[in-house]
Amino acid sequence: MSSQSGSEAGFPALTAAAGPHVRRRPFHERTFRALSPYLLLAPAAVVIIAVLGYPLYLLTRLSFEEFGLASLVSKKGTWIGLDNYSQIFHDRQFWTVLFRTVVFTVVNVGLTMVFGTLIALLLAQLGRSMRLLLTTGLVLVWATPVIVAVNIFRWMVDYEFGVLNWTLTELHIGDFLNKDWFADSTTGFAVITAIVVWGAIPFVAITIYAGLSQVPTELVEAAEIDGARRWRIFKDITLPLLLPIFVILTSLSIIWDFQVFNQIWIARGSEPEEDYWLMSVSSFAQAFSLGEYGFGAAIALVMVCVMFLATFVYLRQMIRMGETR
Amino acid sequence: MTRRMIGALALAAAVLASAVAASAGSSSPNRQTATKVVIWLQNDAKNGWEEMVTSTNDAFRAKHAGVEVDVQYQGWGDHLTKFDAALAGGTAPDVIEFGNSETSTYMAAKLLQDVTKQKASFPNSKTWLKGLTDSCSYNGKLYCVPYYAGARAVIYRKDQYKAAGVKSTPKSLAQFRAAGLKLMKKYGKQRNYSALYFPGQYWYAGLSFVYDYGGKIAEFKNGKWKGTLNSPQALQGLNQVKSMVKALSRANKTTDEANPQQALVFSKGRVGSMIGNGWEWPYALDEKLGNPSLAKKMGAYPMPSHIAGKYMPTFLGGSDVAVPVTSKNKALAYDWIRIFTSNASMRKLATVGKQIPNSTSLASINAKNPQLAPFTNASRSSWFVPTAPNWVKVEKARVLKSLFQAIITGKQSVKKAATSASNQITKILNEPVK
Repeated sequence: MSSQSGSEAGFPALTAAAGPHVRRRPFHERTFRALSPYLLLAPAAVVIIAVLGYPLYLLTRLSFEEFGLASLVSKKGTWIGLDNYSQIFHDRQFWTVLFRTVVFTVVNVGLTMVFGTLIALLLAQLGRSMRLLLTTGLVLVWATPVIVAVNIFRWMVDYEFGVLNWTLTELHIGDFLNKDWFADSTTGFAVITAIVVWGAIPFVAITIYAGLSQVPTELVEAAEIDGARRWRIFKDITLPLLLPIFVILTSLSIIWDFQVFNQIWIARGSEPEEDYWLMSVSSFAQAFSLGEYGFGAAIALVMVCVMFLATFVYLRQMIRMGETR
Repeated sequence: MTRRMIGALALAAAVLASAVAASAGSSSPNRQTATKVVIWLQNDAKNGWEEMVTSTNDAFRAKHAGVEVDVQYQGWGDHLTKFDAALAGGTAPDVIEFGNSETSTYMAAKLLQDVTKQKASFPNSKTWLKGLTDSCSYNGKLYCVPYYAGARAVIYRKDQYKAAGVKSTPKSLAQFRAAGLKLMKKYGKQRNYSALYFPGQYWYAGLSFVYDYGGKIAEFKNGKWKGTLNSPQALQGLNQVKSMVKALSRANKTTDEANPQQALVFSKGRVGSMIGNGWEWPYALDEKLGNPSLAKKMGAYPMPSHIAGKYMPTFLGGSDVAVPVTSKNKALAYDWIRIFTSNASMRKLATVGKQIPNSTSLASINAKNPQLAPFTNASRSSWFVPTAPNWVKVEKARVLKSLFQAIITGKQSVKKAATSASNQITKILNEPVK
């Protein structure tokens, strides 16, 4: 029964369209049929507009206003057109922050994807119990709240009592006692990158591992018989097959890493130095620390546009690459 | 195709979600009932003189039956950011404590209730300390009530000084340095020992050196502010801080004196001296967090100037309490403040908290107290931040913390860091008041 009626029951629209009575259906029923997808979408759309659209509208309006401390109580800003935006683009600091954010994103996404893939490949090679152990570890990392994770990392790199400085010194790599990792923003960002990548790996690794299990073994075996080495197999078989997964994971990682905020904010004790400002931090600091709410809103919007652009171009390119193969 | 569609949708949703997350600052409805008074005080009160707060609340409740008092303690780092968000969300407190350098911006923005008419009803209002009253006055009107004043002095370990061969407390900066070097010689082998605990962002103590050499933060001339931290005198002071910290301190270079609380670091034993407020002395002896056994080993003296026999100017800190314009319980708020600043409360502040009360009429409480005299003496030579409406922005932008961090970590040369800070200050102070 199920195997027989499967195709018909599964696609009633197709059956109806193919049937001979289609032209005789009354007008209102045809309209209803045409509209029904939209009607079904409507409740979700209303919720999305209310929850996302309205705040976005408010943010956009705010970005065209001068909105300072006094406006907080009066709830009225002054319309100043594009002034906030021209101020942003003439601000040297903005370009520094943008550049820093892009570099940060590239490094973090790159490391996340590389380590995530390596761990996924490792998972595929492991025996059952070790795989279970590693997967449990990954899930635990994933389940650790950011605030907890950042504080643990902060303790580990503490200049006075940190286990990292102690270990490095005991291993005679150098005198790391009283080394302050955050004194220099390069080493500081190295710590922050470690936190971000550490937290991002589980999702990437588990997703890729799920994808790997779909790679047909006969393809891999055939390649092996033909004398292909590991790297060759990965490059020419695994990678092309998993390309869609890589595209999505990379795009999502770009979005997440481009707007990293919590890790920096907490690691620098809620007062990040300007050397640690990424776009999200700069937007928040301008708005909430300096009371320039309109200016902060404008930065936030510029950030969204940059991110949209980056992901859009990237996604298109990757899909085209996929099609030519 | 479908997979791509789903991917694209997920992307679009994620981007939208991030946009909304970036906008943050959502407003929450005001759910305060008329019978609850919310008070924001700084952590110093909790750490140093919670008794005064408790007794104020008891007296207030006895007078206003059925009214709830909710005291919420805040940290200096982010209490203004929180306050701004609360103002926007309509959940601002009924009474808020401000540092005396923080009030100008809020008075200029008309966010604090004008209490000129009520002035006479506040206790000791005729004899309030002038410095604090000034920090509550804007365009001839009164916007807050003085709470306490604080001056910093050197808090030190008598036993360590003695053991290191320091015979008397230093009377000049050169002597201070020499004493510190002796301490380092005696105890410096212990990792993390500091003869002078001086965290890299401790700008209140750092700027005292600048003022000691005749420098200042900014000048007001011909209707314009000008940052002057790169003047020759200021640079001399900043260089002095740098070499002093390098020689005597192993404190973290990228934190301030409150993270971790320096008094608690002091109580752990690996600190010879620190520059601290009066309340930090008893805090170091706290039974739970500190070390009560140090009670007889601690002392204090005013930080000496580079000119022998003089004191280095200390930041004349202090706090005021104000009622935000958004408060729905202003009459109750005023009454809470009246009890909080009454003679009985102020006496607790002085005896328990070791702070300088808000009125000259109460000065005698402290005169004979050996734990307070050094701080009161230190306050005779003092400095204060420029009284510009935009000053808070300089603090919020962390200009001075960054300056000292850059100098002490050696990230920038003293001159370069000072010039950049000075330019920033000039720019911020001259921005139109919004």
